[in-house]
Amino acid sequence: MARLRHLFTLLLLLGCLNATVAQMRNKMVMQHGRLVLILDTRTSKNEIDSMLIAGGVTGQTAEMLLKGDYAAATKNGWNVKAKKNIIELDRSLADVNESQQLTPYLLSSNMYKSNGRPGYPSEVAFGVNSFANRVSVHELPSGLTRFFIPGNTQAKRVLLSGNFNNWSTIKGIMNRTDSGWVADIRLEPGKYAYKFIVNGNWTPDLNNNLLEDDGLGNNNSIYYRYNYTFKLAGYQSAKKISVSGSFNKWLELAMRQKDGVWETSLYLHDGIYLYHFMVNGSWITDPANKMTQMQNKQLSSVLLLGESVTFKLNGYTNAHKVCVAGGFNNWDADMLQLSKTATGWVLSYTISAGNYQYKFIVDGQAIADPANPHQITTDGKTNSFLAVRSNHAFILKGYSSAHTVRLAGDFNNWNEQGYTLEHRGDQWVINMRLKPGKYLYKFLIDGKWILDPGNKIWEQNQYGTGNSVLWIE
Amino acid sequence: MFNRVLLIMLLVSALCCDKAFCNPDIRIAGVNLKALEGDSDPYGDFKVLTIPIKRAGNLILVEAQVDSVAGNFLLDTGAPYLILNATYFRYLPKITEQDAGGINGRTAGTFTAVVHNFSLGFDLHYDRLVADVTDLSGIENSKQVKILGLLGTRLFAKLAITIDLNKNLLYVHKLDSKGEIIPAERVFNTPTVKITFRYMNDVIFIKGTVSDKSMWFAFDTGAETNMIDYHAPKKIIKSLQVINRSKVTGVGGSSYEIIYARFEKLIIGDYPFISNRVLVSNLENIGKAYGYTVDGILGYDFFARGVFTVNFAKKEFEMYIYNQQ
Repeated sequence: MARLRHLFTLLLLLGCLNATVAQMRNKMVMQHGRLVLILDTRTSKNEIDSMLIAGGVTGQTAEMLLKGDYAAATKNGWNVKAKKNIIELDRSLADVNESQQLTPYLLSSNMYKSNGRPGYPSEVAFGVNSFANRVSVHELPSGLTRFFIPGNTQAKRVLLSGNFNNWSTIKGIMNRTDSGWVADIRLEPGKYAYKFIVNGNWTPDLNNNLLEDDGLGNNNSIYYRYNYTFKLAGYQSAKKISVSGSFNKWLELAMRQKDGVWETSLYLHDGIYLYHFMVNGSWITDPANKMTQMQNKQLSSVLLLGESVTFKLNGYTNAHKVCVAGGFNNWDADMLQLSKTATGWVLSYTISAGNYQYKFIVDGQAIADPANPHQITTDGKTNSFLAVRSNHAFILKGYSSAHTVRLAGDFNNWNEQGYTLEHRGDQWVINMRLKPGKYLYKFLIDGKWILDPGNKIWEQNQYGTGNSVLWIE
Repeated sequence: MFNRVLLIMLLVSALCCDKAFCNPDIRIAGVNLKALEGDSDPYGDFKVLTIPIKRAGNLILVEAQVDSVAGNFLLDTGAPYLILNATYFRYLPKITEQDAGGINGRTAGTFTAVVHNFSLGFDLHYDRLVADVTDLSGIENSKQVKILGLLGTRLFAKLAITIDLNKNLLYVHKLDSKGEIIPAERVFNTPTVKITFRYMNDVIFIKGTVSDKSMWFAFDTGAETNMIDYHAPKKIIKSLQVINRSKVTGVGGSSYEIIYARFEKLIIGDYPFISNRVLVSNLENIGKAYGYTVDGILGYDFFARGVFTVNFAKKEFEMYIYNQQ
């Protein structure tokens, strides 16, 4: 019995030893001015590979290493030593000494590259608001949006802060009423994140059910500024009517009867959508909408949201077929056919807000739009340029004797064959649609770079020649 | 020679006239001597101010207004005084030019200016502040947030500040005659960590211990990570577990390596901060900018552990830690 117990203890000890061996892990340390990777060949290839990546041993894989092929590591300045189950790679840390940074934020900002813009909601296809006890945000007949926070009437100051005012903690001062605080602001249709600031303290809107993580352990309230109402007249005695469509993955969105019409409002992003109504469980298309499309053997109504753009091509009256292809239709050369008129070709098409390049396809031959002064050339190919719902005009005054004025910036990879401006009156102009954020740009006058003389805001660049700075807010 | 004359005249004028009675119109070679004097004291009707803060990555932003321009400023205890971004303030009248890499380690084209009517939030005002105008595009581009400038320590020299990163609040405290925060206005009463710091060249230096070695850290809210100088004692460097090594390109295109590592214990005061992350690099130039060499920098990894108060008058740092390990 005692012997058995000894054997058991021995086995237990061996087990512990095994566990100790199994706990061997790869590690990376700094010793004697060198960075040392200590790799245990008994760990998985994945673990070794991730260690090699962390150590910046480019081109070297665990596979190669385990076969004794160290060429890639050696080429990049690593010494490699293999003994038993351990492979050690080391290289000088002299490069760490090279930092000439003068301020800690410049050094550490390399560790944390911005990941999107927290607090600035990304675009969504649709959105519906949801309020708890009372509607704290609503549209006014004037077109302004009213935000309301009840109570806090003894507060010294209450502010409304959100992505619509760049989360300002100074600008969005609300007005005191007998029952709370209000602020009326102008919003374009879309999704907005906001909070209130009561006596300096951030607080979400407690009446708003829609919350989104603000990335800092708290929540932002979310409000959708509506731009569309689905309507269905008649069906007075129907018990339940809803709308569903490709915008919300065909989930049913309840409609309410108002003055004899069933309706529901929502925010809908520009785009092309299929939809139908469900009346007491039966599928019908929208009787007020003639545009329909068959999909999966079912007929749906078609909704086009965006701006109607008219493409015109003068002449070419002998051509058989003229199409327009561009970023707005994935460059499909056959999809959008123009109709022949007495003097040329024409097509009206609804396009979402954005910047697009396009071409006409005349009997299979692609040409830039001869009537459009805005062009961009990339890899030797010249396309026409169109901004739908533009929100910024780049304007250069004077330079009337210039042959070509172009615009290049970080938004087009500083393409020297960038957007050509239109010479209109005594100035050069191009309109663009730019998302909120910072942009760097310059004009090219007949190939010569200049800062925008009409913009006093610029920053230095690596060539010492500066770039103009534009903030879209 | 001219410089010497200017210096002597400066000294003489400084000795001869009391600040308050100094003739505002003394000018030498276009330089207004009055302008070179220090900042005016902050004022405002408050005992404690609650100012909402915003965040950009691990940085702390506070909105302030210079004349009619309002926007984000980085709360940066690594900066000695007010620093303005040249992109938006290069039009300010120059008081003096600075050499590249000069006293505060600023880049070429840096100059000194005076701003009037500076307000932090709604209630803290300064009539005039001496500021450096320099290129801050590097930080603006890395964060994609408009940054008008940096709020350095001198702005708070006669005050105390408390920062609560959970609530995103900055409290600015006025101090009593003993330099203490008025007891009723304290944000927390029982600090987990309480230490005195050295305040030199407007930089906060805190003593700490890593691997039984004592080190001097600069406390810098503008540092998104803790940092240790590559030249720190071997024992410390050896104790670091490297997480990764990466090559980065700095402003001006120079490239260098940084090492990101972890270590177990950092002792500040008597309190052990467990499981620390740190960036290892050459901090020589940063030390030059501070005017004192540093072994390391206490940045976000450190100050995000709790609510902290910096009392600039008493030179005291306190931290209250919600979840003590």
